[in-house]
Amino acid sequence: MNFIKRFFSGMKQEESVSEPVKPVESVSEKIEPNPSPAPEPTESATAFSDAPPAPRTVIHAPALKDSVFPEESEQILIKAQPSPTGDQCMFTVNRVLMADCSWYFDSFESAAESSLAESLFSLDDVETVLVCESTVTVTRKDKTLIDWVPLAKEIGGAIRGALEEGRPLIAEKIISSIPTEEVIRAGIQKVIDEEVNPGVAGHGGQINLLSVKGNSVTIQMGGGCQGCSAADLTLKQGIHTSFRKAVPEVGAIFDETDHTAGLNPYFS
Amino acid sequence: MPRVLTFKVNIETGKQGPNETVNFNFNGHKMPFENVIGSNEPDSIFEGSFDVNSFAHSLTLVGPEKGKWDIDKITVDYQCEGEDPYVVKWGAVTLDETTEVNLWQDPPVPAFDV
Repeated sequence: MNFIKRFFSGMKQEESVSEPVKPVESVSEKIEPNPSPAPEPTESATAFSDAPPAPRTVIHAPALKDSVFPEESEQILIKAQPSPTGDQCMFTVNRVLMADCSWYFDSFESAAESSLAESLFSLDDVETVLVCESTVTVTRKDKTLIDWVPLAKEIGGAIRGALEEGRPLIAEKIISSIPTEEVIRAGIQKVIDEEVNPGVAGHGGQINLLSVKGNSVTIQMGGGCQGCSAADLTLKQGIHTSFRKAVPEVGAIFDETDHTAGLNPYFS
Repeated sequence: MPRVLTFKVNIETGKQGPNETVNFNFNGHKMPFENVIGSNEPDSIFEGSFDVNSFAHSLTLVGPEKGKWDIDKITVDYQCEGEDPYVVKWGAVTLDETTEVNLWQDPPVPAFDV
Protein backbone atom coordinates (compact mmCIF):
# COMPACT_ATOMS: atom_id res chain seq x y z
CA MET A 1 0.00 0.00 0.00
CA ASN A 2 2.80 2.41 0.78
CA PHE A 3 4.27 1.82 -2.66
CA ILE A 4 0.95 2.57 -4.32
CA LYS A 5 0.48 5.70 -2.23
CA ARG A 6 3.90 6.88 -3.21
CA PHE A 7 3.32 6.16 -6.88
CA PHE A 8 0.16 8.26 -7.07
CA SER A 9 1.06 11.06 -4.68
CA GLY A 10 4.49 11.80 -6.24
CA MET A 11 6.70 14.18 -4.31
CA LYS A 12 4.03 14.91 -1.71
CA GLN A 13 4.63 11.54 -0.22
CA GLU A 14 7.48 12.88 1.69
CA GLU A 15 5.29 15.50 3.32
CA SER A 16 2.60 13.03 4.27
CA VAL A 17 5.13 10.69 5.71
CA SER A 18 6.66 13.48 7.67
CA GLU A 19 3.34 14.32 9.31
CA PRO A 20 3.12 13.19 12.87
CA VAL A 21 1.18 10.05 13.29
CA LYS A 22 -1.77 10.52 15.51
CA PRO A 23 -1.87 8.31 18.50
CA VAL A 24 -4.27 5.43 18.27
CA GLU A 25 -6.00 6.50 21.46
CA SER A 26 -7.14 9.79 19.95
CA VAL A 27 -8.76 7.98 17.05
CA SER A 28 -10.58 5.58 19.29
CA GLU A 29 -11.91 8.45 21.34
CA LYS A 30 -13.71 9.85 18.29
CA ILE A 31 -15.57 6.62 17.68
CA GLU A 32 -18.90 6.94 19.39
CA PRO A 33 -19.95 3.93 21.37
CA ASN A 34 -22.95 2.09 19.96
CA PRO A 35 -24.73 0.40 22.84
CA SER A 36 -27.95 -0.24 20.86
CA PRO A 37 -28.33 -3.68 19.23
CA ALA A 38 -28.13 -4.18 15.49
CA PRO A 39 -31.27 -2.89 13.75
CA GLU A 40 -33.90 -5.42 12.70
CA PRO A 41 -33.72 -6.34 9.02
CA THR A 42 -36.26 -4.44 7.00
CA GLU A 43 -39.01 -6.16 5.00
CA SER A 44 -37.14 -5.59 1.79
CA ALA A 45 -34.05 -7.24 3.24
CA THR A 46 -35.99 -10.38 4.14
CA ALA A 47 -37.91 -10.55 0.87
CA PHE A 48 -35.36 -12.90 -0.63
CA SER A 49 -34.64 -14.96 2.45
CA ASP A 50 -34.38 -18.69 2.05
CA ALA A 51 -37.22 -19.41 4.45
CA PRO A 52 -40.33 -20.47 2.50
CA PRO A 53 -43.57 -18.67 3.31
CA ALA A 54 -45.87 -20.39 5.73
CA PRO A 55 -48.33 -22.60 3.81
CA ARG A 56 -51.87 -21.29 3.68
CA THR A 57 -54.98 -23.36 4.15
CA VAL A 58 -57.02 -23.75 0.97
CA ILE A 59 -60.69 -23.20 1.69
CA HIS A 60 -63.68 -23.69 -0.60
CA ALA A 61 -66.37 -21.11 -1.11
CA PRO A 62 -69.90 -22.36 -1.84
CA ALA A 63 -70.43 -22.80 -5.56
CA LEU A 64 -73.30 -20.81 -7.05
CA LYS A 65 -75.06 -22.69 -9.82
CA ASP A 66 -77.52 -21.19 -12.22
CA SER A 67 -80.46 -23.37 -13.22
CA VAL A 68 -79.89 -25.27 -16.45
CA PHE A 69 -83.54 -24.82 -17.35
CA PRO A 70 -85.62 -21.74 -18.14
CA GLU A 71 -87.68 -20.70 -15.13
CA GLU A 72 -91.22 -22.05 -14.74
CA SER A 73 -91.38 -24.07 -17.91
CA GLU A 74 -94.53 -26.15 -18.20
CA GLN A 75 -92.78 -28.71 -20.37
CA ILE A 76 -90.87 -31.57 -18.77
CA LEU A 77 -87.26 -30.77 -19.55
CA ILE A 78 -84.48 -33.32 -19.00
CA LYS A 79 -80.74 -32.91 -19.40
CA ALA A 80 -78.41 -35.90 -19.59
CA GLN A 81 -74.85 -35.60 -18.31
CA PRO A 82 -72.61 -38.68 -18.63
CA SER A 83 -69.88 -38.96 -16.02
CA PRO A 84 -66.28 -38.38 -17.17
CA THR A 85 -65.60 -42.08 -16.56
CA GLY A 86 -68.60 -43.02 -18.73
CA ASP A 87 -69.94 -45.61 -16.31
CA GLN A 88 -73.01 -43.62 -15.30
CA CYS A 89 -75.19 -40.80 -16.54
CA MET A 90 -77.06 -38.23 -14.48
CA PHE A 91 -80.42 -36.94 -15.70
CA THR A 92 -81.57 -33.61 -14.29
CA VAL A 93 -85.30 -32.91 -14.53
CA ASN A 94 -87.11 -29.60 -14.00
CA ARG A 95 -89.40 -31.36 -11.54
CA VAL A 96 -88.91 -32.70 -8.01
CA LEU A 97 -88.82 -36.48 -8.22
CA MET A 98 -88.17 -37.27 -4.55
CA ALA A 99 -88.31 -34.44 -2.02
CA ASP A 100 -85.53 -34.16 0.60
CA CYS A 101 -84.53 -37.82 0.25
CA SER A 102 -82.97 -40.23 -2.20
CA TRP A 103 -83.27 -43.91 -2.99
CA TYR A 104 -81.01 -46.46 -4.63
CA PHE A 105 -82.64 -49.20 -6.72
CA ASP A 106 -80.27 -52.06 -7.40
CA SER A 107 -82.66 -54.39 -9.24
CA PHE A 108 -86.00 -54.61 -11.05
CA GLU A 109 -87.50 -56.29 -7.98
CA SER A 110 -86.57 -53.35 -5.77
CA ALA A 111 -88.49 -51.06 -8.14
CA ALA A 112 -91.88 -52.58 -7.36
CA GLU A 113 -94.62 -49.92 -6.97
CA SER A 114 -92.14 -47.13 -7.86
CA SER A 115 -93.33 -46.12 -11.33
CA LEU A 116 -90.20 -44.15 -12.16
CA ALA A 117 -87.82 -47.00 -11.39
CA GLU A 118 -90.14 -49.57 -12.99
CA SER A 119 -90.09 -47.61 -16.24
CA LEU A 120 -86.30 -47.35 -16.19
CA PHE A 121 -85.72 -51.03 -15.40
CA SER A 122 -87.94 -51.95 -18.33
CA LEU A 123 -85.06 -50.76 -20.53
CA ASP A 124 -82.63 -53.57 -21.30
CA ASP A 125 -79.34 -51.87 -20.47
CA VAL A 126 -80.25 -50.22 -17.14
CA GLU A 127 -78.38 -51.77 -14.22
CA THR A 128 -79.01 -49.47 -11.23
CA VAL A 129 -81.05 -46.32 -10.59
CA LEU A 130 -80.45 -43.63 -7.99
CA VAL A 131 -83.20 -41.05 -7.52
CA CYS A 132 -82.20 -37.93 -5.60
CA GLU A 133 -84.46 -34.87 -5.45
CA SER A 134 -84.66 -33.76 -9.12
CA THR A 135 -82.01 -36.08 -10.54
CA VAL A 136 -81.81 -39.69 -11.66
CA THR A 137 -78.43 -41.37 -11.98
CA VAL A 138 -78.30 -44.54 -14.04
CA THR A 139 -75.56 -47.12 -14.47
CA ARG A 140 -75.65 -49.41 -17.47
CA LYS A 141 -75.00 -53.12 -17.76
CA ASP A 142 -72.78 -52.90 -20.80
CA LYS A 143 -69.64 -51.19 -19.49
CA THR A 144 -67.93 -51.31 -22.87
CA LEU A 145 -70.26 -48.74 -24.43
CA ILE A 146 -69.17 -45.14 -24.00
CA ASP A 147 -71.77 -43.37 -26.11
CA TRP A 148 -74.72 -42.63 -23.84
CA VAL A 149 -76.86 -40.79 -26.40
CA PRO A 150 -79.04 -43.72 -27.61
CA LEU A 151 -79.76 -45.07 -24.11
CA ALA A 152 -80.07 -41.56 -22.66
CA LYS A 153 -82.85 -40.75 -25.11
CA GLU A 154 -84.72 -43.91 -24.08
CA ILE A 155 -84.24 -43.05 -20.41
CA GLY A 156 -85.43 -39.49 -21.01
CA GLY A 157 -88.57 -40.87 -22.61
CA ALA A 158 -89.11 -43.27 -19.70
CA ILE A 159 -88.73 -40.49 -17.10
CA ARG A 160 -91.11 -38.25 -19.03
CA GLY A 161 -93.62 -41.09 -19.37
CA ALA A 162 -93.54 -41.84 -15.65
CA LEU A 163 -94.07 -38.19 -14.78
CA GLU A 164 -97.00 -37.88 -17.17
CA GLU A 165 -98.58 -41.09 -15.93
CA GLY A 166 -99.30 -39.57 -12.56
CA ARG A 167 -98.65 -42.69 -10.43
CA PRO A 168 -96.39 -42.37 -7.37
CA LEU A 169 -92.83 -42.11 -8.64
CA ILE A 170 -91.46 -43.70 -5.47
CA ALA A 171 -93.37 -46.36 -3.55
CA GLU A 172 -94.98 -45.23 -0.30
CA LYS A 173 -93.44 -48.19 1.53
CA ILE A 174 -89.97 -46.91 0.57
CA ILE A 175 -90.61 -43.38 1.78
CA SER A 176 -92.06 -44.60 5.05
CA SER A 177 -89.11 -46.95 5.63
CA ILE A 178 -86.47 -44.21 5.56
CA PRO A 179 -85.06 -43.87 9.08
CA THR A 180 -84.09 -40.64 10.79
CA GLU A 181 -80.82 -38.86 10.05
CA GLU A 182 -79.48 -39.88 13.46
CA VAL A 183 -80.01 -43.57 12.68
CA ILE A 184 -78.34 -43.18 9.27
CA ARG A 185 -75.44 -41.23 10.79
CA ALA A 186 -74.85 -43.79 13.53
CA GLY A 187 -74.94 -46.71 11.08
CA ILE A 188 -72.62 -45.07 8.55
CA GLN A 189 -70.18 -43.90 11.23
CA LYS A 190 -70.07 -47.44 12.63
CA VAL A 191 -69.23 -48.97 9.27
CA ILE A 192 -66.60 -46.27 8.64
CA ASP A 193 -64.94 -46.92 11.99
CA GLU A 194 -65.13 -50.69 11.95
CA GLU A 195 -64.81 -51.63 8.30
CA VAL A 196 -63.89 -48.86 5.88
CA ASN A 197 -61.17 -46.97 7.72
CA PRO A 198 -59.31 -50.08 8.89
CA GLY A 199 -59.34 -51.18 5.24
CA VAL A 200 -57.99 -47.97 3.72
CA ALA A 201 -55.57 -47.34 6.60
CA GLY A 202 -53.13 -49.78 4.99
CA HIS A 203 -52.77 -47.27 2.16
CA GLY A 204 -52.55 -44.28 4.48
CA GLY A 205 -56.15 -43.34 3.74
CA GLN A 206 -59.00 -42.12 5.87
CA ILE A 207 -62.72 -41.58 5.26
CA ASN A 208 -64.66 -38.94 7.18
CA LEU A 209 -68.44 -38.58 7.38
CA LEU A 210 -69.15 -34.90 6.76
CA SER A 211 -72.93 -34.71 6.84
CA VAL A 212 -76.20 -36.58 6.58
CA LYS A 213 -79.20 -34.92 4.94
CA GLY A 214 -82.30 -37.03 4.82
CA ASN A 215 -80.83 -40.41 3.92
CA SER A 216 -78.09 -38.93 1.70
CA VAL A 217 -74.57 -38.91 3.12
CA THR A 218 -71.55 -36.82 2.25
CA ILE A 219 -68.06 -38.12 2.91
CA GLN A 220 -64.55 -36.83 2.45
CA MET A 221 -61.53 -38.92 1.59
CA GLY A 222 -58.31 -37.92 3.33
CA GLY A 223 -54.73 -39.02 3.82
CA GLY A 224 -53.52 -41.30 1.07
CA CYS A 225 -56.99 -41.41 -0.54
CA GLN A 226 -56.96 -37.70 -1.38
CA GLY A 227 -55.64 -37.32 -4.90
CA CYS A 228 -55.14 -41.07 -5.38
CA SER A 229 -55.91 -42.29 -8.87
CA ALA A 230 -57.78 -45.27 -7.44
CA ALA A 231 -60.04 -43.14 -5.22
CA ASP A 232 -63.00 -43.46 -7.60
CA LEU A 233 -62.68 -47.25 -7.60
CA THR A 234 -62.36 -47.32 -3.81
CA LEU A 235 -65.42 -45.13 -3.50
CA LYS A 236 -67.71 -47.01 -5.85
CA GLN A 237 -66.66 -50.60 -5.29
CA GLY A 238 -65.57 -50.43 -1.68
CA ILE A 239 -67.25 -47.66 0.24
CA HIS A 240 -70.61 -47.69 -1.55
CA THR A 241 -70.91 -51.45 -1.16
CA SER A 242 -70.03 -51.36 2.54
CA PHE A 243 -72.40 -48.50 3.25
CA ARG A 244 -75.36 -50.07 1.44
CA LYS A 245 -74.75 -53.47 3.02
CA ALA A 246 -74.63 -52.01 6.53
CA VAL A 247 -77.37 -49.40 6.06
CA PRO A 248 -79.66 -50.50 3.20
CA GLU A 249 -81.77 -47.34 3.52
CA VAL A 250 -78.88 -45.05 2.59
CA GLY A 251 -79.55 -43.15 -0.63
CA ALA A 252 -77.08 -40.92 -2.42
CA ILE A 253 -73.43 -41.00 -1.33
CA PHE A 254 -71.59 -37.81 -2.19
CA ASP A 255 -67.83 -37.42 -2.13
CA GLU A 256 -66.73 -33.87 -1.39
CA THR A 257 -63.03 -34.59 -1.59
CA ASP A 258 -60.99 -32.08 -3.54
CA HIS A 259 -58.45 -34.45 -4.99
CA THR A 260 -56.22 -31.59 -6.20
CA ALA A 261 -56.09 -29.57 -2.98
CA GLY A 262 -53.19 -29.30 -0.59
CA LEU A 263 -49.48 -29.12 -1.08
CA ASN A 264 -49.03 -32.80 -1.68
CA PRO A 265 -52.18 -34.75 -2.54
CA TYR A 266 -51.83 -38.53 -2.21
CA PHE A 267 -49.68 -39.62 0.70
CA SER A 268 -49.21 -36.08 1.95
CA MET B 1 -56.73 -31.37 -16.84
CA PRO B 2 -57.01 -28.75 -19.52
CA ARG B 3 -54.51 -26.17 -20.63
CA VAL B 4 -55.71 -22.81 -19.31
CA LEU B 5 -55.19 -20.06 -21.87
CA THR B 6 -56.50 -17.20 -19.78
CA PHE B 7 -58.79 -16.54 -16.88
CA LYS B 8 -60.53 -13.42 -15.63
CA VAL B 9 -61.88 -12.79 -12.13
CA ASN B 10 -64.53 -10.45 -10.83
CA ILE B 11 -64.50 -10.20 -7.03
CA GLU B 12 -67.15 -8.37 -5.04
CA THR B 13 -65.74 -7.31 -1.68
CA GLY B 14 -68.06 -6.99 1.31
CA LYS B 15 -67.64 -4.99 4.51
CA GLN B 16 -63.94 -5.72 5.07
CA GLY B 17 -61.28 -5.33 2.40
CA PRO B 18 -57.52 -4.97 2.74
CA ASN B 19 -57.01 -2.66 -0.27
CA GLU B 20 -53.74 -4.33 -1.20
CA THR B 21 -52.38 -6.09 -4.26
CA VAL B 22 -54.51 -9.09 -5.17
CA ASN B 23 -52.49 -12.23 -5.83
CA PHE B 24 -53.41 -15.63 -7.14
CA ASN B 25 -51.57 -18.93 -6.83
CA PHE B 26 -51.31 -21.03 -9.97
CA ASN B 27 -49.73 -24.46 -9.51
CA GLY B 28 -47.93 -23.08 -6.45
CA HIS B 29 -46.68 -19.90 -8.12
CA LYS B 30 -47.91 -16.72 -6.46
CA MET B 31 -48.47 -13.86 -8.88
CA PRO B 32 -50.40 -10.57 -9.06
CA PHE B 33 -53.24 -10.13 -11.51
CA GLU B 34 -52.84 -8.16 -14.70
CA ASN B 35 -55.26 -5.77 -16.42
CA VAL B 36 -56.56 -4.74 -13.01
CA ILE B 37 -59.68 -2.63 -12.71
CA GLY B 38 -61.01 -1.53 -9.32
CA SER B 39 -59.73 -2.70 -5.95
CA ASN B 40 -60.51 -4.89 -2.98
CA GLU B 41 -61.51 -2.01 -0.73
CA PRO B 42 -64.73 -2.56 1.23
CA ASP B 43 -67.83 -2.58 -0.99
CA SER B 44 -65.72 -2.48 -4.16
CA ILE B 45 -65.35 -4.67 -7.21
CA PHE B 46 -61.98 -5.99 -8.34
CA GLU B 47 -61.36 -7.27 -11.84
CA GLY B 48 -58.17 -8.83 -13.07
CA SER B 49 -56.98 -11.43 -15.52
CA PHE B 50 -53.90 -13.41 -16.45
CA ASP B 51 -52.75 -15.21 -19.61
CA VAL B 52 -51.59 -18.48 -18.10
CA ASN B 53 -51.00 -20.81 -21.06
CA SER B 54 -50.31 -23.74 -18.79
CA PHE B 55 -52.01 -26.84 -17.42
CA ALA B 56 -53.97 -26.25 -14.24
CA HIS B 57 -53.27 -28.40 -11.23
CA SER B 58 -54.44 -25.78 -8.74
CA LEU B 59 -55.59 -22.17 -8.80
CA THR B 60 -56.36 -20.17 -5.68
CA LEU B 61 -56.99 -16.58 -4.67
CA VAL B 62 -54.47 -15.66 -1.98
CA GLY B 63 -55.75 -14.00 1.18
CA PRO B 64 -54.46 -10.62 2.34
CA GLU B 65 -51.06 -10.25 3.99
CA LYS B 66 -52.74 -8.49 6.90
CA GLY B 67 -56.32 -8.25 8.10
CA LYS B 68 -59.44 -9.87 6.73
CA TRP B 69 -61.06 -9.84 3.33
CA ASP B 70 -64.81 -10.43 3.18
CA ILE B 71 -65.75 -11.60 -0.28
CA ASP B 72 -69.40 -11.61 -1.27
CA LYS B 73 -69.06 -13.21 -4.68
CA ILE B 74 -66.37 -14.47 -7.04
CA THR B 75 -66.94 -14.95 -10.75
CA VAL B 76 -64.26 -16.56 -12.89
CA ASP B 77 -64.29 -16.74 -16.70
CA TYR B 78 -62.02 -19.47 -18.03
CA GLN B 79 -60.74 -20.01 -21.53
CA CYS B 80 -59.12 -23.40 -21.90
CA GLU B 81 -57.57 -25.04 -24.92
CA GLY B 82 -60.05 -27.23 -26.81
CA GLU B 83 -62.96 -26.26 -24.54
CA ASP B 84 -65.79 -23.78 -24.82
CA PRO B 85 -65.35 -20.78 -22.50
CA TYR B 86 -67.11 -21.33 -19.19
CA VAL B 87 -67.97 -19.35 -16.08
CA VAL B 88 -67.94 -20.47 -12.45
CA LYS B 89 -69.43 -18.48 -9.57
CA TRP B 90 -68.76 -18.83 -5.85
CA GLY B 91 -70.51 -17.30 -2.85
CA ALA B 92 -69.35 -15.58 0.31
CA VAL B 93 -66.02 -16.40 1.91
CA THR B 94 -63.63 -14.61 4.28
CA LEU B 95 -59.88 -14.73 3.73
CA ASP B 96 -57.02 -13.75 6.01
CA GLU B 97 -53.25 -14.09 6.11
CA THR B 98 -53.46 -17.85 6.66
CA THR B 99 -55.92 -18.79 3.94
CA GLU B 100 -56.49 -18.90 0.21
CA VAL B 101 -59.65 -19.89 -1.61
CA ASN B 102 -59.94 -22.34 -4.47
CA LEU B 103 -60.64 -20.78 -7.87
CA TRP B 104 -60.25 -23.83 -10.06
CA GLN B 105 -62.99 -25.94 -11.49
CA ASP B 106 -62.66 -28.32 -14.40
CA PRO B 107 -64.66 -27.55 -17.53
CA PRO B 108 -68.25 -28.77 -17.17
CA VAL B 109 -69.04 -32.23 -18.44
CA PRO B 110 -70.99 -31.90 -21.67
CA ALA B 111 -74.74 -32.27 -21.22
CA PHE B 112 -77.48 -32.74 -23.79
CA ASP B 113 -81.25 -32.57 -23.85
CA VAL B 114 -83.20 -35.83 -23.96
